[in-house]
Amino acid sequence: MSTCNHKWEMADIRNGYLVMEGCPRCGGRSASFSADVIVPMDERQEGEHFWVYLGSSQAAKFNLKCVECGKLVDLDDVMGLMMSTCDDPQCDVVKIAAREGKGAWVYVALCADSTHASGKCVSAEGIKALNEYFNQNIKVPGKKIVVVPCETCCSVDRCKGIVIADVGLTEIY
Amino acid sequence: MKLSELAKKTDLKSLNKFTDKDFEGVYISDMVSDIITIAKPNSLLITLQTHKSLIATGNLVDLAAIVYAKGKMPASDVIQLADKAGIALFVSELDAWALASKLFALGVR
Repeated sequence: MSTCNHKWEMADIRNGYLVMEGCPRCGGRSASFSADVIVPMDERQEGEHFWVYLGSSQAAKFNLKCVECGKLVDLDDVMGLMMSTCDDPQCDVVKIAAREGKGAWVYVALCADSTHASGKCVSAEGIKALNEYFNQNIKVPGKKIVVVPCETCCSVDRCKGIVIADVGLTEIY
Repeated sequence: MKLSELAKKTDLKSLNKFTDKDFEGVYISDMVSDIITIAKPNSLLITLQTHKSLIATGNLVDLAAIVYAKGKMPASDVIQLADKAGIALFVSELDAWALASKLFALGVR
């Protein structure tokens, strides 16, 4: 087990598009990252799903690397981050925000599949590294960033929040 | 340089109450995906984007302040969110290039 007190920095920064697709059959939502110059908008069959293009936004993907020990944490399963503004008392994200107290800001790490049908979400290792990264240089006393996986939400598709995305910047063309 | 000194020397209009403090460095961008990967904690961001996602990003990166160039004004709910996040908001009538030139002349790097 590593004893390194990790000091994270971003690595493997890639620019591209976050592509959102929806399946009219199951109501699920899927997200993927594309480094193509042109956004892929083709409809496609994948098992029981029939994915239809919903929209896209310019985005950047990154991994985290420790400058002390060289450990690399792959964040390929993170499709975006959302500042939670949820006020549903039944939602675990709201409970976490209440537990963390004043000065804590909860951000939801969004995985590719809102249905979580595969049983997968953002990895625990990725969540831990994101928490350490965003908190390691905070200058404001008492401030804390809490990153949670989107499976924590009562419903990712209904949960209130501000998604960090460059939506609309290319739509004037 | 402190935020109040910056505001005075570059004719910035303050949009909210802020804690006066030294900031460290400047970044100019209108894209949150750029800001999240490049902007540094306690730095100043110059932007044209008045969207709420800028505040969500600025809070995550721990920006000291955001300056809206070319007189762009954010909506009141954006200012409220910045207040809550402790991010100082300013407006400059200058465009980003002219403001950056002024900052450089003042020794800001």
